[in-house]
Formats: sequence, C-alpha cells, structure tokens
Amino acid sequence: MPIFDQGYQHWSGHLSGRAWRWLAVTRQGIRGGLKNRFLRYVLFAAWVPALALVLMLCMWGLLERRSSLASTFMQYYMALLQPGVVADPQHYRADIWRLSYGYFLEIELRFSMVLILLVGPNLISQDLRFNALPLYFSRPLRRIDYFLGKLGVILAFLGMVVIVPSIVAYVLGLLFSLDITIIRDTFGILLASVAYGLILTFSAGMLILALSALSRSSRYVALCWVGIWLVSGIVATVLQAVDSQQRRYVYYNKMTVARPNGRDFDNLSRAERDKQWRAYRQARERAAEEYRVAELGFSAHDWRPLVSYTENLSRLGQQLLGTDQTWKRLSLLDPDQDARDQLLATYMGPQYPWYWSAGVLTGLFGLSACVLNLSVKSLDRLK
Amino acid sequence: MAYESSGEPRTLFQLDGVTKTYGAVTALDDLSVTVPSGAIGLLGPNGSGKTTMIRTLLGLIPVDAGSGQVLGMDFLHRQLNIRREVGFAPENECLFPAVEGVQFVAYAGELVGMRSKDAMQRAHEVLDYVGLGEARYRKVESYSTGMKQRLKLASAIVHDPKLLILDEPTNGMDPDGREEVLQLCRDLARNKGMSLLFSSHLLPDVEAVCDYIIVLGNGKLLAQGNIQQLKQVHNQCFEVRVKAGSETFAQGLSALGCVIEARDDVLLVQIPKGESPRMLWRAAAEQNQQIRYLRSQRSTLEEVFLKALEQK
Repeated sequence: MPIFDQGYQHWSGHLSGRAWRWLAVTRQGIRGGLKNRFLRYVLFAAWVPALALVLMLCMWGLLERRSSLASTFMQYYMALLQPGVVADPQHYRADIWRLSYGYFLEIELRFSMVLILLVGPNLISQDLRFNALPLYFSRPLRRIDYFLGKLGVILAFLGMVVIVPSIVAYVLGLLFSLDITIIRDTFGILLASVAYGLILTFSAGMLILALSALSRSSRYVALCWVGIWLVSGIVATVLQAVDSQQRRYVYYNKMTVARPNGRDFDNLSRAERDKQWRAYRQARERAAEEYRVAELGFSAHDWRPLVSYTENLSRLGQQLLGTDQTWKRLSLLDPDQDARDQLLATYMGPQYPWYWSAGVLTGLFGLSACVLNLSVKSLDRLK
Repeated sequence: MAYESSGEPRTLFQLDGVTKTYGAVTALDDLSVTVPSGAIGLLGPNGSGKTTMIRTLLGLIPVDAGSGQVLGMDFLHRQLNIRREVGFAPENECLFPAVEGVQFVAYAGELVGMRSKDAMQRAHEVLDYVGLGEARYRKVESYSTGMKQRLKLASAIVHDPKLLILDEPTNGMDPDGREEVLQLCRDLARNKGMSLLFSSHLLPDVEAVCDYIIVLGNGKLLAQGNIQQLKQVHNQCFEVRVKAGSETFAQGLSALGCVIEARDDVLLVQIPKGESPRMLWRAAAEQNQQIRYLRSQRSTLEEVFLKALEQK
C-alpha cells in the first residue's frame, strides 16, 4: 500500500487532436525497437557509410578550394580517379557527389534490409499474438492511424540511416565547399536521395507490415522477409548468370577460326603456326568485344533483375540519382573505346527501363495494402 | 443516478430501432432503449447481443438500421469523439505486448490523445488506485489474470472518461480479487460520478455495483429499470416464520384460501385477493402460534432476470 493513498482523482488535462494520434503508435514502436541490443549495433554500423559519405563530400569541398589539407589526400584521389577529374574538381563536382550518394545509398539499402528484419516482424504480428487490436480500436484511433503509426516506426529507423545522413552530409559538404553554386549543381541529388529514402521506406515498410499481419509468429515473418530479400536476390543472380553463360557460349562459338591444335597443327612450320595463333587470338578478341557490346545492349531489356526485390529498389535509386549518365560522362575521359566499354560494363547497373522496377514495386505496394486491409480487421470481425 | 438541473435524469445513451445482423444471425433486433446516467448493469444470456450493443455504442461496428446517441453524440457519425469520452475494458485477454504495467497504461492514455508526460503521471496515479502500484514496473505478460483485469481497468480510466464500459470485468478472478474490482467499480460509480456500463453474467456482481439494469435477449430489450423498483414488493405475498409447527400453520392457512410454499423454515404465503396481512395474525392467534418473522416478499435480481427471459 502506498504511504498516502489519494484514491481516484479526476483529470482535466488537454487531449491532442486526431491528426497526430498515429504518432503515439510510432513512439511506442520506436521505444520497443530500441530495446533490442542488436538493432542498436546495426544502427551504429549503418552510420559508418554515412561517415564515409560525409568525409568524401567534405574532402571534395576542400579539393575544390585547393585547400592545403586537400594535398594530403590528393595522392588517394589520383589513385582512385582519373587525372582529368582531379584537375578540375568543380567541373566534376555533381558527378562525384552523385556517385558518392549512389554508393552510400547502395550500402544503406543492405543495412535497411537488416534493420527491417530486426524491427518489422514484430510490428503487427505481436499485436495479433497478444490480441492487442481491441485495445487500439476501442480508442479514438482509426485503422489508417494504426497503419501509419506502424509505418512511422519503419520510417523513423530508415530515416535515421538513409534520409538524415543524406541531409547532414549535404549540409557539411556545402559548408566545406563554401561555394554557393554548389546548391545549383547538387540540390537535385539531395532531393533524389531523400525521395529514394522515402520510396525505400514506403515500399519495404508496407511489405513488412503486410507480412507481419499474416502471422502471429514473428519468426515466420522474419523468414519470409529473408526470403524476399536474399532468396529473390539469389534467384535473380542465378538466372542472370545462367543466361549470361549461354550468351557467352553462343558468342564464342561464333569464332570463325577454331583453336589451333592436333597433329596437323604440330606438323606445320613455326611461321604457319604463329599465323594461325594470331588469327585465333584476334578472333577471340573480336568475339570478346562483340560480347561486351552485346551485353550492354542486352541489359537494356533483361527482365531477370526484376526478380530481386533489392535490385528493383537499386534500379530506381540509380534512375533518381542519374548515376548511369555520370558513368557515361566519366568514361568519355578515357580515349580508348575498349576501356570505355569495359568501364561502363563494370560500373553501370542494369539498363532495363526503370519503370519496370517502378511497376514491380507499385504492384507489391498494392498487394501489401490489400493484405493489410484484409488481415487487420475492425472489431466488427474480431473475436 | 445523475440528474439535470430540471430534475430529470441525464440520458447516458439512447438507441432507436437499432438492428445489426451478422449473416443470418440477428444480434440486435430493432432495439430501442434509453438509459439514464449512473451505474448500469447489462444482463443477458450468451448470444443475447450484449457485446454487439457495446460495440455499437462505441461506434466500432456499422449497424444495418437505426440511430442513437451516446453522451449526447450520434454514434453513427461521431464515433471517435465518443471513444474519447468513453473508457472500455474488453472481455478477452488483450495486452500491448512487451511493456511494463506503467508503460501499458501510459500508452493507452497516449492513444486517446494525452501528452506523454501527462499520460505517464496519470498512469502512476491510476495504477495506485487499482492496487497495482507495486507491480507497475513488471512486464504485463507476467501479470496474473486478476492483475490483468485491473490493468485493463486502469488503462480504461487513465483519461478520466465520462462513461466506463466494462465487459465481464471479474472473469477468471478469485473471490478476493473480484471483491476488490467490484469495490473499485462501486467507488467510481457512486463516489466519483463516473457512469458505468457493467456487462456480466454474474448477477451478484451487477447487483453489488449497479442501480439500474438492462436485460437483453435475442437482441431485444426484455426489461430495464432501477433494480430496487424491479425487485418489486409483492403486496399479497409474505414470508412467514412461526415458532413451531409450521406444517399445521400452513394447513390452516391453506384452509383459508392461501397458497403456501415451504422454503426451509420460512413459509411463502400468498393471501387471497381482498385480504390483508391481518388474516395471518388472526390465523396464528386461532392456532395458538407465535409469528417470529413476517415481511412482504421481494423478487431477487435472479428472479427478475429469469422472469424477463421467460417473457421473450
């Protein structure tokens, strides 16, 4: 018993409006999520790439200003980038920022998947397991508030590793550059990265909420998420590899000159043997070149990456940031056509139309919304 | 019961011709009822429509026909406003998972719109009130059934609602815990001015807390009214106990036209129309008997309930 029992007291405080009621659900979800030790570790680790982005943008700012500090890092730049880029950093500013953000978002996409794996499965399945829905819906809370609140939890955590670092890095990059024209050149990149963060949040958030609404067991939900994230990626990679091997086989079979060997080849004179070897090597090089060019062309209508959930997100990010155009611009610095093709083939992502990925993600979003609508019912249909 | 300045009791809720069906099952059948403020008991057998009525009042389900008001607000259009003014403790075991007791109650307050700080402060107060002060930092999953019921009560009153709806609040509780919850409900209804809608199968619980009842059966209103009035005094029926020889006394009364029913050592006597209780005294004097106990018979709540069910 308390020392002084004051009994029941009336309360006459102020109740907030309905518009922000979902925020209570979000706050509770964040509090619950942060109790998970592993989640805190992953959050911490996810800020390392953000730190690298900040460093990169700040160093580029110093390089633009020809700061004495920049000379320390110059040797690293020279090793990483072509001399033409380092010689005129202001001219290539937008390109470097774009690529930096591109790499950052690509890494954070992986961290986001891990964060969702740790936060998402419990969001609705736990409420179903503990029959908490009557407690929510008997209060002035609509289903949309409940969903928004749960989605807000995903937004908060992904915002912490994608959106907030993007903005902070931008501001710091701006401060280190001290050039007002940088806003004109790079503001679009900031908008693109924030837009990408929102697309990632809404797409992955709705998907994990739908999965979470399908089962009372968070473990099954987590397994499903791993399946969508990793297994779809593996399947897409295998499909691409098999197809690529087949095409490679076809191209190499096209070589008009057969590999010189056998008893007849041994009986030839040395000069004749060298001639056949040269013809063979040239044919191989021609085939390889044709193959590279054909691969670039083929990737423009290869549907296989669509199987991978993360690949679809990457494709949209790539489109929003315009990293492909950047690689094309940078490749022009190399006078050798072969080297240019090589660079593009290595660094450019899938080239199929971006709206294919947008379509896949929109479809998944719609499906998730339907699942949520059917699975999380009002009290009318609850037991 | 709360009264307006005019002296008329304030209306707590009112339903006009409300019908709700689930497929072929009619849960509420053209139900019309007006209920005054105060502690209201909601009685009815399983499937009588009690839970559907509660959900209708909270605006949680769409009705097929009819209209109504709760605390003066239309339940068809102002559901969220109603839920803001009402506290509800559902029947089933339901918990916000993985939280401590105090967080549970504070979260319930936040969902109604209380600021975090206010909700936490208030959560401590109401947990003390319901007797869970010592267990406030324990995870709610570890609470016993009785503690969970009290926790639900605390989370329902955290925002100081005008109407508290309790659906089977003493389910699964031991006698001591049950008495404590009933005591809390009585206190809220009688001393704190909170209206109560108390749905239960346990008639003694309803009688202990409420002063007005509604009896539902097959989605229809079977009876309603003040408990004391429903437990009417039967002017022609009396409970009589005599010192000795009650059988002889009963035979004598039967000969005078009374209908007798023996219940333990008490005789339930229905005297003929037009006669007064004086005939009992006369009969006792004639038989040389001493009447030790005599009072007009009153219906019990159970009788009221069963009688209402028989009428359906």
